[in-house]
Amino acid sequence: MSSSISSSESDSGWGRSLLACLGTLIGAAALVLALMVVVDPYDSGKLGLLGIDGVNSRLTQITAASRARDPNFNAAILGNSTAQMIEPAELSRAAGMRFVQLYTTGSAPREQLAVLDFFLRHHKQVGALVIAADPGWCVHARPKEEGAPFPYWLYDTSVVTYAMRLISWQAIEQAFQRLGIGLGKRQRMNPDGFVSYEDIWPPGRFKEINAPRDPAPAISTEMRAVFPEISALQDVVRSLPPDVAIVIVVPPTFAPTVPKHGTDAALERRACDAALKAVTEGRLRSNFINYRVDNALTRDRDNFADFIHYRPVLARKIEQGIAASLRDGESAKTDF
Amino acid sequence: MLFNDYPFLLVFLPAALLIYRLVDPFPHLRIGVQVALSLAFYGWGSPSFILLLIASIAVNWFASVVYGRVKWKTVLTLAVLLDLGVLALFKYANFILANLGHVFEATLPTLDIGLPLGISFFTFHHIMYLVDLKRGKAPLYTLDRYALYIAFFPQAIAGPLARWSEVMHQFGRQVYVPGWQRQFCIATCFIALGLFQKVVIADSIAHLLDPIYTQAAGGPLGSGDAWLAFCFSFQILFDFSGYSDIAIGLGLLFGVQLPYNFNAPLRSTNIQDFWQRWHITLMLFLRDYVFYPLVNLRFLPRRWLPVQFFGAMLITMALCGLWHGASWTFVLWGVVHGLAQIACSLWRRYGPHFPSWLGWALTVLFVLATGVIFRAGSVEAAWHVFVGLTQPLPLARGPHLWPLIVAPLFAFLLPASQDIVAFFTRRPNLFLAGILGLGLFALLLHMGGRDLHEFVYFKF
Repeated sequence: MSSSISSSESDSGWGRSLLACLGTLIGAAALVLALMVVVDPYDSGKLGLLGIDGVNSRLTQITAASRARDPNFNAAILGNSTAQMIEPAELSRAAGMRFVQLYTTGSAPREQLAVLDFFLRHHKQVGALVIAADPGWCVHARPKEEGAPFPYWLYDTSVVTYAMRLISWQAIEQAFQRLGIGLGKRQRMNPDGFVSYEDIWPPGRFKEINAPRDPAPAISTEMRAVFPEISALQDVVRSLPPDVAIVIVVPPTFAPTVPKHGTDAALERRACDAALKAVTEGRLRSNFINYRVDNALTRDRDNFADFIHYRPVLARKIEQGIAASLRDGESAKTDF
Repeated sequence: MLFNDYPFLLVFLPAALLIYRLVDPFPHLRIGVQVALSLAFYGWGSPSFILLLIASIAVNWFASVVYGRVKWKTVLTLAVLLDLGVLALFKYANFILANLGHVFEATLPTLDIGLPLGISFFTFHHIMYLVDLKRGKAPLYTLDRYALYIAFFPQAIAGPLARWSEVMHQFGRQVYVPGWQRQFCIATCFIALGLFQKVVIADSIAHLLDPIYTQAAGGPLGSGDAWLAFCFSFQILFDFSGYSDIAIGLGLLFGVQLPYNFNAPLRSTNIQDFWQRWHITLMLFLRDYVFYPLVNLRFLPRRWLPVQFFGAMLITMALCGLWHGASWTFVLWGVVHGLAQIACSLWRRYGPHFPSWLGWALTVLFVLATGVIFRAGSVEAAWHVFVGLTQPLPLARGPHLWPLIVAPLFAFLLPASQDIVAFFTRRPNLFLAGILGLGLFALLLHMGGRDLHEFVYFKF
């Protein structure tokens, strides 16, 4: 053992050093926490004394909270980047509601349900919900969380869980961005949440990436009927008042990735579509629309940025289908 | 509960320190409270196996008491065999079944049992004590003291493998005696240094390397990523060295000085030197409880003793590999290190003198190359990494590669953590203490924005 450690020393300077260390640590933590309480870095509504509106960040997993609690909206679009191109302003105009875009990049259904729960907690009156159901909804067992962890703590009801996460570099950065908005030195993000991905994937280019993540085929017929993510959504929808319109949209993918008729993948797809359709059945002004089809529109590479991200021309068609559904329900004309 | 987790650092540790501060004046309560805190820590992290830990402590202590009464060495042998049996059941049963299945060309069932947290470490602690008791070197202890030796939370999960003789006499000592503030300053330095190594360096490397190894398991690597995968040994060094330093710091907060586990191993100039500086406590365990017994067995004629010596070295290192995981790649890793130690030993005796810089370079290259086998999970995946080294370095990744620049610099240039801590705690310094507080706060901020990475050695 090192003698420097085993020897004892009762110099009172050590006591002062310990105090200096702990004092600095606790003092710095208290200062940062105070800043967080005043600013509420993620605009979650759980803290915040300055009344700053909105956030400025492209991290959709954290900015969705700010939009989801905005009382200026009464309808929401949920999904991941496959929902991103649906313009809430267009839907608002067509349907006579106030839509907010709550997509979260790369998110799985469980994460989208957390955002939906947060939105519903902050809105007593909801007009409509639009859910872009990518293949993640068709899994037969909830997968383990992968990739970047989702900030459930932000969408949780607990202030303590939230406050624990505010001791982080990211929270400090967000706090200063919010202060910038409060001081008028920085623009807040578009409140309805629409951000086109065409600024990073310019028109005219097709990247052969992002194949649809269709789940592995079920090993039995019984299992093929089990969709835990859809069941969770069904539970949420059942808890809503009957006048809340629900439109579930399966986003289009580049035609060669559409399951071929007669294959196991097609059987899987049909079972998932049936389960999604069951969620909206019997509800007023609600509908299930499957845009994942093989036709002239989806065979055209110019209509896609990659296998799953479609261009505005398809987004406009989808918006028309959603608006028609919100008007006419299951009998809506949703040509594609 | 992890040492690099908010619940531990902000809830459990302050509460444990407060509780221990309150009982410190009462000698008869100290050990009992530390046992309770340790069991609470284990129960939080692995609730399903807390009874296994308690049963393990009770059975082994009972065996020692029976031995103390009747002096039957068989009792201790049976206890050790039982410990190894339990370890084999939880850690190696599926590996054995899979291999039997290959041999008999049959599909044998797999056991759906988890791996109890720290089972290797508490098994080895039992063995160290029982074997020494059998050798007449160890005394008998009361149940509470023995329980603390096995379950002491700073070291129970992943070491260091403290010998009973190193720590038993320290348990139950009064912590808050004159000079305790200095011990706490030293402890805080160890914890800060350990956290830095773990959450800043090791986790950042893991963030870069994990997807690459996932890809290597599926096929060849592209774009020079293999060069990053080649650096895995830096990750495990800072991961485990960081854990060990935090454990040492936590031990000091409760009045126990745990043994050091690393001594700047990547500054070694030969592989034998390396193994005297890397995971020191495991190597001392293997030396005293595997290697020496194998060497001392008289089953070869005297003139064959060198063969027996090197054979024992190879077997010890193969077992060292197997201890790290139930997989042939770990055995291969251990055997390769065993062969390297034999080669090193022969070279030192018969070969020409090596310049130390060349020895250092070869040692580092060897450790990095074998680290790939250790991490890859299969020989095929390791091969994909080695083949990928024919491509140029992935310099296009630019600033994202900073962990793989900082880590080697630290590993090659800086002394061992204990020497760094000793340097900064020679005398009290308010400025440095303030910086340490700020550093700790910065580490908390760093941890707050990231997902947790388990310590690599929790798997072993």
